[in-house]
Amino acid sequence: MRNVWLIAKREYLERVRTKAFLISTLMIPLLMGGGIVGSIIAGGKAKSTSHITIVSPDQLLATDLQKELENGKDSRMTVDVISPGNSTTRPSLDSMLADKQIDGYLWITPATEPNARPTFAYTPRSTADFATKNAITSALRSVLMRERLSHDGLVSKDVDALMQPVEVDTTQAGKNADTTSSFVAIYVLFFLMYMVILLYGMNVARSIIEEKTSRVFEVLLATIKPEEMMAGKVIGVGSVGLTQVAVWLLTAILLTSSSLIGAVAGGKVHVSLNAMQIIFFVVYFLLGYLLYSSIAAALGAMVNSEQELQQLNMFLVMPLAGCMFALAPVISNPSGPISRIISMIPFCAPLIMYLRISLATPPAWEIGLSIALMLITIYAILWVASRIYRVGILMYGKRPNLPEIMRWLKYS
Amino acid sequence: MAIVELEKVRKAYDTKIAVDSLSFRIERGSMFGLLGPNGSGKTSSIRMMIGMTLPDSGSVTLFDHPFDRNNLHRVGYLPEERGLYKKMKVIDQLIFLGELHGLDAITASKRAHAWCERMEITEAIPKKTEELSKGMQQKIQFIAALLHEPELIIMDEPFSGLDPVNATLLQDTLLDLNKQGRTVLFSTHRMDQVEKLCDSICLIHRGHLVLSGPMQEIKSRYPKNRIQMVFEGDASFLNHPSVESAKNYNGMAEIKLRDGVDAQPMLAEAISRARITRFEVMEPTLEEIFIETVGDRVDA
Repeated sequence: MRNVWLIAKREYLERVRTKAFLISTLMIPLLMGGGIVGSIIAGGKAKSTSHITIVSPDQLLATDLQKELENGKDSRMTVDVISPGNSTTRPSLDSMLADKQIDGYLWITPATEPNARPTFAYTPRSTADFATKNAITSALRSVLMRERLSHDGLVSKDVDALMQPVEVDTTQAGKNADTTSSFVAIYVLFFLMYMVILLYGMNVARSIIEEKTSRVFEVLLATIKPEEMMAGKVIGVGSVGLTQVAVWLLTAILLTSSSLIGAVAGGKVHVSLNAMQIIFFVVYFLLGYLLYSSIAAALGAMVNSEQELQQLNMFLVMPLAGCMFALAPVISNPSGPISRIISMIPFCAPLIMYLRISLATPPAWEIGLSIALMLITIYAILWVASRIYRVGILMYGKRPNLPEIMRWLKYS
Repeated sequence: MAIVELEKVRKAYDTKIAVDSLSFRIERGSMFGLLGPNGSGKTSSIRMMIGMTLPDSGSVTLFDHPFDRNNLHRVGYLPEERGLYKKMKVIDQLIFLGELHGLDAITASKRAHAWCERMEITEAIPKKTEELSKGMQQKIQFIAALLHEPELIIMDEPFSGLDPVNATLLQDTLLDLNKQGRTVLFSTHRMDQVEKLCDSICLIHRGHLVLSGPMQEIKSRYPKNRIQMVFEGDASFLNHPSVESAKNYNGMAEIKLRDGVDAQPMLAEAISRARITRFEVMEPTLEEIFIETVGDRVDA
């Protein structure tokens, strides 16, 4: 145990002291913060502030539309109305477009038959201006609907009441969380986990290859067992990952709880994590990390150079990528049979079971079973990995093929 | 009892047999030479001594007991292929390796400083390994093997890549340690390098034992029938009946006598004809012994 600790300590200190570690630890939260602020600002700007002109023979429709576009919930546009237009209107509007005085104009042609809708033609200055076009479309929809409803005899108060958006509150059994925020939290944590497992798992493989190329193992193995070295490496490199994630998470919590951000987001985007989510995140992150780094350790033990490792990279990425495909069915039905089976597979459990826990509480025995299965798998992989390592380094020079690996497992 | 004993040890890898029915023992306090050409099985034997690999058959005894990992901190090992962490500072590295061998960090640090002074590389202490010359790295590795004051010191090709001054420094250090009662095992293919150092040897060839035992005993088994002499004057004494063959390099002669013949009559003859400035009956060198023994075996 002392040897495992010594190996892990060295691995940890040597990595934490590097500039690369410092930079990546600090840069990611900065980007994260920047990204959040940026997206909020961009989100605010998504409300169209274009300046357009409406040409319509129907004065009422035009002013209704103007009101909706200037004060509606999705847009803050400047709208001029020309009613009705004549033969000189279009050329003059075109020249205003060219002079950038307006961002576009909407030409409304009245319906030729009764009860038919008028036709709408929008001419934008830039075809890429989707925000304005969308705003106009949605404003038109509500204006036309309101007009139609009042035409059918409804008073305007009732029309407004009818047109209120429907809001559905979701309450999880036993939890009183607001769903939007827990979805955001799941996605953030899911990708953090994915990234860290991928990042630090490969670091374990690299550190084992480094040991081989520097040939320090010859000195180490004169006192310690390859199993101890493997375990030490996995733990040491893992702690580096944990340190980084801890810093990142802390920043995330600081960012999300900050009232400034809350205010900027208008109180709408509010990311929160409860204690249970954090505990399970830590548990599943640790297990998932251990599992994937033991796979990485085995890969590292098999190869002699980083280039060869690249070719085996997919073995590490494949199960993780598979989890991505399982995301949708699990989110749509976290307690269904498919979700339950997938969450038991040790390679998917850290992500999928965690996802299930965040969405709806699975039975305790299922959580327990998934953890037990993962532990057994980790042990088995490490055992195989140290076998491959021990035999591999003493017969260095070539990459083993599968039959050779099988034979090595029998070696003492 | 022996500090290391290999008994009928066999180790086969996929494609070749590294060591076969190899038996030898190393006595406590000796300077032992494990000799043989490249690929003869020296490193394989060492790896089995310290449990890096296990023999397919046969037994390994370490410190009078069947091999036990718990005794490994009493062994210091300098591997043939040196390996240090490139990016790590020398002092951190030495402390780390010392700790792995059971020292606490403070003791390891103290000893590391003392050793660096002794090996004349104090300026390397705060540097990273990759900034050091090869010779310096080798000295660091040498120190790492000795930091925990092992009873058994195993040196695989310790002098390769060192200049004569540093090789001598290492040699003297090892002799010193041996005087303190520590057992030193040299493994090398340069037999001439350890000829003077070792008191017992084991010669192996293609995984098999050629001969083993105390150096003097082995040498006494081989006749002292080589003479080196320097003379001025008539060289006709080289045709004396006791001479089997002789080469005369302009006053420096290498003579091989017939088996079992005394050198004295030939010397008397030489004195009567020429002026002798040097006359030496040579011990056979290990290399000669090796070539003779292996050659015999190949012929047979």
